[in-house]
Amino acid sequence: MRFASLLALLLAAAPALARVKVVATLPDLAALAAEVGGDAVEVTALVTPTQDPHYVDPRPSYVLALSQADLLVVNGLELEAAWLGPLRLQARNPRVLAEPGYVDASTAVQRLGAAATVDRSQGDIHPGGNPHFTHDPRAGAAVAGLIAQRLAAVDPPHAAAYAQRAEALQARLKALAEAQRVRFAALPADRRRIVAYHESLAYLLDWLGLERVATVEPKPGIPPDPAQTSRVLQTMKSTGVRVIVQEVYYPARIPETLTRLVGGSVVRLPGGTAFADGETYEAHVASIAEALHAALR
Amino acid sequence: MDAAFAGSAPPTPTPTPTPAPAPSSNPDIALILDVAAAWFDGEPGQLGGHDPQETGFTFQQLELTLQHAVDPYFSLQANIVFHPEGVEVEEAVATTLALPGGLQARAGQFLHRVGRQNTQHPHAWSFVDQPLVLGALLGGEGSRGVGVEASWLAPLPWYLVVYGSVTGAGAGHVHAGEAEEEAEGEAEGFEALPTARLEQFFPFNDDWSLSLGASAQLPPVHDEGRGQLYAVDAYLRWRPVASTSRLALSWQTEALVRRLPEAGHTHEDRGLYSQLVLDFAERWQVGGRTEWLDEAEADTRRRHSAQLSFFPSHFSRLRLQVGLDERSDDVVPSAFLALETLIGAHGAHGF
Repeated sequence: MRFASLLALLLAAAPALARVKVVATLPDLAALAAEVGGDAVEVTALVTPTQDPHYVDPRPSYVLALSQADLLVVNGLELEAAWLGPLRLQARNPRVLAEPGYVDASTAVQRLGAAATVDRSQGDIHPGGNPHFTHDPRAGAAVAGLIAQRLAAVDPPHAAAYAQRAEALQARLKALAEAQRVRFAALPADRRRIVAYHESLAYLLDWLGLERVATVEPKPGIPPDPAQTSRVLQTMKSTGVRVIVQEVYYPARIPETLTRLVGGSVVRLPGGTAFADGETYEAHVASIAEALHAALR
Repeated sequence: MDAAFAGSAPPTPTPTPTPAPAPSSNPDIALILDVAAAWFDGEPGQLGGHDPQETGFTFQQLELTLQHAVDPYFSLQANIVFHPEGVEVEEAVATTLALPGGLQARAGQFLHRVGRQNTQHPHAWSFVDQPLVLGALLGGEGSRGVGVEASWLAPLPWYLVVYGSVTGAGAGHVHAGEAEEEAEGEAEGFEALPTARLEQFFPFNDDWSLSLGASAQLPPVHDEGRGQLYAVDAYLRWRPVASTSRLALSWQTEALVRRLPEAGHTHEDRGLYSQLVLDFAERWQVGGRTEWLDEAEADTRRRHSAQLSFFPSHFSRLRLQVGLDERSDDVVPSAFLALETLIGAHGAHGF
C-alpha cells in the first residue's frame, strides 16, 4: 500500500521533473530553443554549422533522437526536403508529426522570394520562398516567439517562463537588428553592395540594407562554369563591388580567384550558430554583421 | 528561392514578402526515368530485372513514386514501375505512424528486409546493375511479397531496430532456378515466407559512422519443407561535415547464403559483393565493386565493375560503368552508359 502510494507520487512528479526534449534540424534553431526553454528543456541539433543543410546524411541515429523528442523544430520551406521526411516517418513518434510538437519555423517569418513559376530548369528552387531566413535576427525573433508558444503547449506549467524568456530574447534581437541596420546605413552607398555565392542571403541583405549585384552560382545549386565566372568578374569590375559573401560549406576556390583579380575579399559566414560549443544565436548573428561590416568598410 | 540571375543581369530590387503557400493534401509525386546504352563482348548473363541485358539500348524503368500521410495513423507509399513488359507494383505499403512503445507496422506489398540493397530502389543504387548475388538468391526483382511487417526501435542509447515480416511466398516473390518455377507454376494455397532482420547504427563522430545488419528468411520449397537464407551487411561511411566539396566515402558489403532442400539433399548457393564509392568533387563520384557468386549447379563466377558518375544537378545523373565478368568458360567485358532523370518531389533517401 505504501509502495503503491509512493509509486503514484513518483508517477505524478515525473512529468514535472522530466525536461522537455527538443530536436532542431539547424543549430540556429537549436540555439533559439535552448534560450527560450532555459533549464526546462534539453536541446539537440542535427546539423552542424559547417554542413550544407540541403545535403545532410539521414543518419539512423537521428531517428533515435526524433523518437524521443517532445518538440521538433525545422526550418521548413523545403530546406530539409532531401533528408528529413523518412526520418520523421521512422521515428514512431506522433508528437513530431503534427502541431504542436512539429514546429515549422518558416511559418513565423515574413518570407522572401517565392518563385512566380516553379521550374527546375531555373535550378534547385524552393517554391514556397527562400528558406535561409535564420541569418536575419528579426526572423530569429519571430521564430523564438513561435517556439515559446509551442513549448507552452507541450509543457503548460512552464508557459510563463517560456513567454518571458522569449520576450527578453526578442527585445535583444530587435535591438541588435536595428543597431546594425543603422551602422550599415552609415556606410557609403557604393560600399553597401556585395556579390553572393548562393541565393541564401536575401534575408541578410534585406536586414542590413545591402544590395547584391551578382550571384556566383548561375542558378541555385549549379556550380559556376568558366563563362559564368567571367560574367561575374565583368560585373564586379564594372560595378566596383569587391566583396563576395558565402557560407563556409560552399567551395571557396572560385570566389577567392575572383576577389584576388579585383583586389577584394571573400566573407565566409558560418553556416549557423556554433551551438555545440555554447555560442548563442545572438552572438552568432552579431558576428555575421561584424564580419560583413569589416569587409565592406 | 527567388529566381537566380546571371552575373551580367541587373540587380534585383528588394524582394517583397510572400504570402504563405496554401497547404496541400496532394501526395508527393516523383517520376524517375532510367535508360542505358550497353555493350557486351560475349554472352551477357546479367541477373537483375532492370539491368541492361544485351548490347544496345535498354529502357531500365520509369518509376512513379507517390507518398503522403493518410491520416494521423498511417502513411501510404507506392512505387509503380513501367517498363517494356508492362506495369508492375514494386511496393505499395501502408505504414503506421502512432503505435506506442517504439513499434511500427507495415502492410501491403513491400521489399523484404534481406540485406541492405534489397530494400533500396534502383535510383539509390551506386551501380547501373544489380549485384549478382542478389539476382541469383533473391531474384531479378528482389525479394518481396504481400503481407505484414512489424518492427521495434529498442529504447537503447544507440540505434537498434528489429524487424519481422510474414508475406505470401507466391506471386511477387521470385526465386531463382527451380524454386522460381515451382513458385509460379504450382503454387497451391497460401505459403508463408517469414523474414527477420536486426539493424544497428553506430555514429563514431560527425564524420564516421557504421551500419550493421543481419537478416534471415525461411523460404518454403514445394513438398520439401523450408530452406534457409541468411544475409549480413555492413555500410561504413565517412562524410567530413566540414568539407566544401561534398566529399564522402562509403564502403558497402553484403554476403548471402541460401540452403534449399531438394530430393533428400541440400542445395547451397552463396555469394557476396563489396563496393567502395567516393564522392570526390561537388558533382562527381567514382566507385568500384567486386563480386563473387558460388551456386550449387554452376561454376564460381566473379565480376568486377567500376563506375564514374556525373550529377549535373541533384535531379539528374550520368553514369559510365565498365565490367569484367569472369565465368569458368568465358570472360565477358561490358560497358554501360546510363542516364537518370527525376521530376517532381525529390524523394528523400534513406541512409
